[in-house]
Amino acid sequence: MSVIERNHVQKHGSGEPVIVFAHGFGCDQNMWRLVEPGFRERYSTVMFDHVGAGRSDLSAYDKDKYADLRGYASDVVEIGRALDLHDAIFVGHSVSAMIGALASIEAPDMFAKLVMVGPSPRYINDGDYYGGFTAPQIEELLTSLADNHLGWSAAMAPAIMGNPDRPELGEELTNSFCRTDPDIARQFARATFTSDNRADLKKVQADTLILQTRDDIIASEQVGEYVNKEIAGSRIVYLDATGHCPNLSAPGAVIAAMNEFL
Amino acid sequence: MNSSDLSDGDLEDLYENAPCGYLSLGPDGRIVRVNATLCTWLGRSSDTLIGTRLRDLLNVAGRIFYETHFAPLLRIQGFFEEVALDLVKIDGGTLPVLANASERKVSDDLVFTRVTLFRAPQRRRHERELVELRNAEQETRRRLEELNAGLHTRINDAAELQVLSVRDAELREQFIAVLGHDLRNPLAGLAGGTNILKQIHNDAKSVRVLRLMAESINRMNGLIDNLMDLARGRLGSGITIQRTSGVRLEPTLAQVVNELRAGHPDRSIEMRLNLSQPVDVDHARIAQMFSNLLGNAITHGAEDRPVVVDAGIENGQFQLSIANGGEPIPQGALDRLFQPFYRGEVRSNMQGLGLGLYIASQIALAHGGRISVTSDITETKFTFSMPII
Repeated sequence: MSVIERNHVQKHGSGEPVIVFAHGFGCDQNMWRLVEPGFRERYSTVMFDHVGAGRSDLSAYDKDKYADLRGYASDVVEIGRALDLHDAIFVGHSVSAMIGALASIEAPDMFAKLVMVGPSPRYINDGDYYGGFTAPQIEELLTSLADNHLGWSAAMAPAIMGNPDRPELGEELTNSFCRTDPDIARQFARATFTSDNRADLKKVQADTLILQTRDDIIASEQVGEYVNKEIAGSRIVYLDATGHCPNLSAPGAVIAAMNEFL
Repeated sequence: MNSSDLSDGDLEDLYENAPCGYLSLGPDGRIVRVNATLCTWLGRSSDTLIGTRLRDLLNVAGRIFYETHFAPLLRIQGFFEEVALDLVKIDGGTLPVLANASERKVSDDLVFTRVTLFRAPQRRRHERELVELRNAEQETRRRLEELNAGLHTRINDAAELQVLSVRDAELREQFIAVLGHDLRNPLAGLAGGTNILKQIHNDAKSVRVLRLMAESINRMNGLIDNLMDLARGRLGSGITIQRTSGVRLEPTLAQVVNELRAGHPDRSIEMRLNLSQPVDVDHARIAQMFSNLLGNAITHGAEDRPVVVDAGIENGQFQLSIANGGEPIPQGALDRLFQPFYRGEVRSNMQGLGLGLYIASQIALAHGGRISVTSDITETKFTFSMPII
């Protein structure tokens, strides 16, 4: 199976450069459905699902490889090579902002620009560093996911009651965008929320834009400012939006900020 | 409000005291309205709830999951259904609920989001039980797979051993065949030389020595034959026979008797042949078997007693027996006579490999017959019997 199939890569438009949109922990490439079409005319756009999410090839899920964000970053580089990307633009939401940063470090010629939407190099507080969560809180999240009571109905019910392979045979696509195999969700959560990539920020060479919302409990303004400080020459733009998903709640603001940067 | 004022048409009451919780969120996600039922469930007043967010009613783990899964879901499809949430009550306890939510938009602008919450502790318990069942089932399956894997390994090991032993057998067979061939050639040279010497020397001493040499050569040839047969019979495809049909057996048997008489002129061999019809056998093999049995009888039987050969057909069975007198074979030895490499208590100058009877029995088997033996103080008798086809 090619990486294009493995990651359910979707390409639109024919302009240059290419913009790669990456979703974070939670849903799939649908996260970009309100933003990506706005760039098809002047650029080429690429969207994909991380292995384990959306319509990716679940059989390609490798516990060890994806225990670390570098596993996801190496997939990004593989996709970039398959598409022969040079000086492209990487737009990563949430944990994928860091995944894109890691990919840009691994393949410096691949991405000239980096747009980080709600980035965080480390979610757990550490001394003077404020990540937003205490270690016990993240442990509670991981335990909850292991217990499998969070999101039971959305994620689990179809596996038992319906036909997960052919959701079109089920009632409808209700809730399917963010449906994840609970085991994979738990492992992705662990890879995400226990990551510490602070040391990698200084290695980022790409021209970087940070998009920061207000009231984001996952990646607070304080964290966004830390990223801004650590990546030399990076810019931070505060969006008139709240919550962790401005790509859904304020797509217009995201598009405008991106256009100004590009 | 007293009971007479209350009617089902009272929408205010329907909202406030509905058997489910209601929340309305403004476009920024903050709570703008909450019904009394939900306030009661949470133990909080509506004042303390308004202005907060739905996620603020959850614990940290729930908040993260809500922000990463359900909030985006709501934005993508405009609603969510049957989402399981754990609300945190004022006393710190949790209230499992199922939540439905839908956005209300006016010309693409989000005006508010309505959320309906249903208490679902029993359902949650039931779901947990299902999860536990599923985990137990997975555990069972995992153990079963482990067991299967173990079994698989053992089968593979056994198969490997089998392959090894087959390889081993092939090597042994090759070894024995080569050995037989390499031994036979110099022996053929010796036999040729002995024959030439017989024609040159006719003094008594030479004749005696040459006869002994010829006997030794014959014996060695016999041993080599046996080795080759062992290799084929034991390790290869078994002793194969080629039956000849319609040819009388008497001349074949008589020839074997004559050969042994020539080798043992001082011994008496009585032969009673009573064959009413030809017997379809492999003549060379039957001769080999007969020669072995007769040779044993002469070697091990009492020298002053005749060896008696009896051949006949009875009840559809061809029978050939060879009897000799002398010491009976001990019972313990009788059971093992036909095993390969078995040697009884024989004089050292008569030691063979212990293959003769084994091969004789294999020849009998190849003919669909068998060799039986009886031994007492009167006589020791080996009887070959086979069905006439």
